[in-house]
Amino acid sequence: MYTTELLENRYPCRTDFIRILYCMVSKSEENFPSAIYISGHTGTGKTAIVKDFLNIHAECENNRTVLVNCVECYTTKILYEHILEELVLGGTRCDNFKEFVEILRQAKNVEQSGFVVALDNADRLRDMDNNILPSLLRLQEFTGLNICVLLISQIPLEKYYCKTGVSEVISLYTPQYTKVETLKILSGSFENTVHMLKCRINDNCDAKVQRNQLVIVEQITQEFYNNYLNIFLSVFYKACRDVPELKITASKCFFTYMEPVLNGNVELSDVARLWRNIAVPLRSSLSQVYMRFDKVESEMLSNHNLEGNLADNSLRKLARAFELPFYGKYLLIAAFLASHNSANQDKRLFVKHHGKQRKRLQSVNAKAKVAEKMSSSLGPKSFSLDRLLAIFYAILDEKVGLTCNLLSQISTLVHLKLLGFVSGENNVMDGSARLQCTVGLEFILYIGKVVGFNVYQYLCDFA
Amino acid sequence: MDSTISVSKGCFVFKNGATRADKSKKATKRKKASPGQTGILGKEITDQPFYAVYAETWNKIQSHIDALQIESSAKTLQELVDYVVKESKNEEKYLGLVEIVPAAALLTGINQPDHLEQFDNLSHRINEQISASICLLQSRDCSTLKSAVETMVYNFIEAPHEDDEDRDHKRLRKSQCTMNQLKTWYRNNWPDASHKNPQSNEEDNANSKARHMLIVILPDFECFNAFILQDLILILSSNCTDLPFMLILGIATSIAAVHNALPYHVTSKIKLRIFKTQSAPVGLNEILEKVILSPKYAFHLSGKAFKFLTHIFLYYDFSINGFIQGFKYCLMEHYFQGNAYALCCNYSTSLTKIKALTHDDMEMIRKQLSFRPYVESINDCKRIIAILTDDDYLKKKLPSLLKECHIYFMLYRIFLEFLTVLVEDLPKCPLGKFRRELYATCLAKDVCSQPEYKECWQVLAFMSKDEFVAKISKAITQTQEFYEQEIHEKLELFADCEEIVITKLHDVKELLTKVVMAGMDAGKSQQQQQQQTTVTSPEELKQVSSRQDLKDKLLQMSKEQKPVSEFAKSVQETLDYIEKEIVMTHLGPLQKAPPLHELFVFSDIATVKRNIIGAPRAALHMALNNPHFYLQCKCCNLRENTQLLPSLPDISVMYKLHLECGRMINLYDWLQAFRSVVDFTEDDQEQIDPQIQARFTRAVAELQFLGYIKMSKRKTDHATRLTW
Repeated sequence: MYTTELLENRYPCRTDFIRILYCMVSKSEENFPSAIYISGHTGTGKTAIVKDFLNIHAECENNRTVLVNCVECYTTKILYEHILEELVLGGTRCDNFKEFVEILRQAKNVEQSGFVVALDNADRLRDMDNNILPSLLRLQEFTGLNICVLLISQIPLEKYYCKTGVSEVISLYTPQYTKVETLKILSGSFENTVHMLKCRINDNCDAKVQRNQLVIVEQITQEFYNNYLNIFLSVFYKACRDVPELKITASKCFFTYMEPVLNGNVELSDVARLWRNIAVPLRSSLSQVYMRFDKVESEMLSNHNLEGNLADNSLRKLARAFELPFYGKYLLIAAFLASHNSANQDKRLFVKHHGKQRKRLQSVNAKAKVAEKMSSSLGPKSFSLDRLLAIFYAILDEKVGLTCNLLSQISTLVHLKLLGFVSGENNVMDGSARLQCTVGLEFILYIGKVVGFNVYQYLCDFA
Repeated sequence: MDSTISVSKGCFVFKNGATRADKSKKATKRKKASPGQTGILGKEITDQPFYAVYAETWNKIQSHIDALQIESSAKTLQELVDYVVKESKNEEKYLGLVEIVPAAALLTGINQPDHLEQFDNLSHRINEQISASICLLQSRDCSTLKSAVETMVYNFIEAPHEDDEDRDHKRLRKSQCTMNQLKTWYRNNWPDASHKNPQSNEEDNANSKARHMLIVILPDFECFNAFILQDLILILSSNCTDLPFMLILGIATSIAAVHNALPYHVTSKIKLRIFKTQSAPVGLNEILEKVILSPKYAFHLSGKAFKFLTHIFLYYDFSINGFIQGFKYCLMEHYFQGNAYALCCNYSTSLTKIKALTHDDMEMIRKQLSFRPYVESINDCKRIIAILTDDDYLKKKLPSLLKECHIYFMLYRIFLEFLTVLVEDLPKCPLGKFRRELYATCLAKDVCSQPEYKECWQVLAFMSKDEFVAKISKAITQTQEFYEQEIHEKLELFADCEEIVITKLHDVKELLTKVVMAGMDAGKSQQQQQQQTTVTSPEELKQVSSRQDLKDKLLQMSKEQKPVSEFAKSVQETLDYIEKEIVMTHLGPLQKAPPLHELFVFSDIATVKRNIIGAPRAALHMALNNPHFYLQCKCCNLRENTQLLPSLPDISVMYKLHLECGRMINLYDWLQAFRSVVDFTEDDQEQIDPQIQARFTRAVAELQFLGYIKMSKRKTDHATRLTW
């Protein structure tokens, strides 16, 4: 039971899972099940446990193990060769399943008696050759070895529909950690976090401050850390249950949490004030969870002050960060107008003397638009290059030649993913290519403001 | 060669090892030869004196720009390199999270081709500081995951050996380049770092600081297919324990692009730090102000040319590289006008060049536009004749003329500094914020007569005393500083400017002290005056008897000019002095520049425009509409553009005919019209000559090839026009 204890220590709250796995795949004298399907959400420890399990397994017993990430296997050949390299040792060439089985059979003579093949991201197997999934599940039968295939994936087994049918598989599920369990796991990284804090202090400050701060750090207890984690989880647990993500964010926020203490502004025991200090940074880092911005300290602090209205702010920031050339901006606006107006309205919108419109009941009815008919909610429509240029020239006051530089701007916009090809990407030359504007109204409004152009005036929905 | 007698049997390859050696020798030879040669130009051109001056000037400017660019990008790159170095001692390991790829996002700005060089520079820098392999992975190599991984692995393993002398070792085939291959390669090359299990114990982490990094640079992030990129990052992260990967993303738009392209389960595998490079307009400004407007170089751009080049940059492409090439083109055009332009260099060097000038060159100098006013200004008949006919006499005169030009431009630049400080931060910036804008306007037009200029002056006059004094004194100090840093003792002829600069600045200073003093005195006198007026006026008004009287009095009072305060007067004086003595005299338009300024200023904007801005549609239209323009033949000289001649090329006739049609063109009508132009027989009923029909068909095909028409699928025998 040495293996299980080791793993249980490393991965608390997964005792059942580890035990079951160990019972099924441990002793090479016993017959392994032919395949086990392990599913569960991200950050529930599937891959990590299996990986460690295989490592320990390979060391203790006379077993050979291999872990393959199926994302890497863009051809089946890589999958086979990767598995064979670890199981049979030595580079072998293998092009198809028949050879694969053949080579494995020959490996029978070797004294190793247990083989485990673990496939991470097993859902990718569905996109490979049709025969792979069913045959891997019956690998034991084919090869006559004591071999077990572990499939690890995030989706439930029911999603593996296969025409030829899939044989019965033992399925293991790793449930998400509860709040208590998460707390327990996170508190396990107490020592590491303190160690990192020390490293940070050593990196940053001068000697005297350093000594003072290190004294404070020595005073941090496990209990204090758990208290912090409680506060932390009360904010984060609703939004994110991915344990690695929580681990990183927790340790990051802990540094901010400790800052007033290290500066000597707040006592270590004054939890209430500490909470007041951390509340805002916690909320702002909640909006950045998963994004993994690695920021410099000072930036972090300055950001907390401004991040009141994040959504609005970020858009403006985005627009400001974009530095497009002048005509590029106009082209983008023209593309937006082309995407969000119907072509038969062009004359009314862009030609100065377009004549009087006859009012008919039909057209009045058609104009009474319901919200669903607003083109802004219908999404962008496609337009041809000619129309784009025509609108561009109509909204631009000055006269510009149709030069290479101007035309190359269009392709730059496409490269930057501000415009996208809808069809005919390959025959731009004959004018049948159709484009689409991919940016939103607010962004265009902002750009319009920068160049002094009223976008609303030219939109059918608003005009 | 005996073994292969028959040529007809096929081709035979002889492996004798000699070819390789030959090639390398050739390569080195070519390298050695290249400095002596000058590319495509023949010797007859490169030997000309103007070419030598051109080459020298360009080399100087180029190295100046390069130095500037390296300097300005140095800070960001250094930060990035520091980050890379720091990442070798991975913090996340302490948390037991090893599958996280450190990544740096470099926000580069929208002109992607411009930045490739920057990434090369970056990889050199990284290589200098730590042991790392670097792979520049471009989106064009990554159309599928397979090719992406293969290119990456291939670049890591094979690229360093690309230019090795002995290529005896077997090269990998692309299909052999898998992650496993990379792992084996890494284990073979850096065994000590990767043999241990990173999770084994913590002491190892201290050693692992020196691990050899594998850095993947994606210079054009936006161009990647999102799905391939996701998979690629997943692969990198799953191999992160064995291979210390690091990602550097070149992002052209903004950081939001990363989150648009990558979902959570992928971003959670990377750790992103953002770096910002200098934005392109800022970079351009720096180049303009420090290099192109530098007084060091004798070559100048005229206001229009200058504006034209910056216009392309700001309105079209944001390409600094493009700007520099455009500038280079202007430089070439300038010097290639003739040997007289060899005088466009340092004063002392130009003195030596004068001797070498031939009669033709002297004639060229005489032909310059500004030469005529100069001649007219001489009132001695003999001297005029001498200067127009005697080369030696003109040669004697030239140094003083050149000197005058040099000093003029130097002073121009010095006082540009003065004016810039005056107007750069006025509300709404009527004249613009930057030196480049001011330079272009001043050189192009008479700035004093511009409404924007008047507006500026008005605003300046309305300033409060403190502001005004601060502004003028700042302008003075800045000008002085500029003079001392850039010109004093550094450039020849500095002594000649010195006096002018110092006296003018001194005068301004004196006027300024007057302004200050005026304020002091005015403080008292104004109060007295005010007291007087406030005391007198109510009394006067009280004395008024009738309403009519009051009205008259008030009217009279309003008509009376308010006493101009001394402060306002002295401000006006200062401004007038600045306008007259600085702006008018030294920042005048090009027409007022001293004679022979054409030698130093490039203003032939039309040629440059025609040559560096491609307008394919216009050119094609011109070629088809008026072939004479390009062919220069005698037969198709058109009186007007719409004229149709049978001697025109068929395609040209067809093109002109199709311009008259609507969206759909009936082929038969077109053919008839074509025939009537090409071969005008009266008889319409006659069968169409097959030769004409063949010519027609060929011309239609050619027009279709050029993209003007397309055969309609909806209507038989009709073609659709594609252009308007």
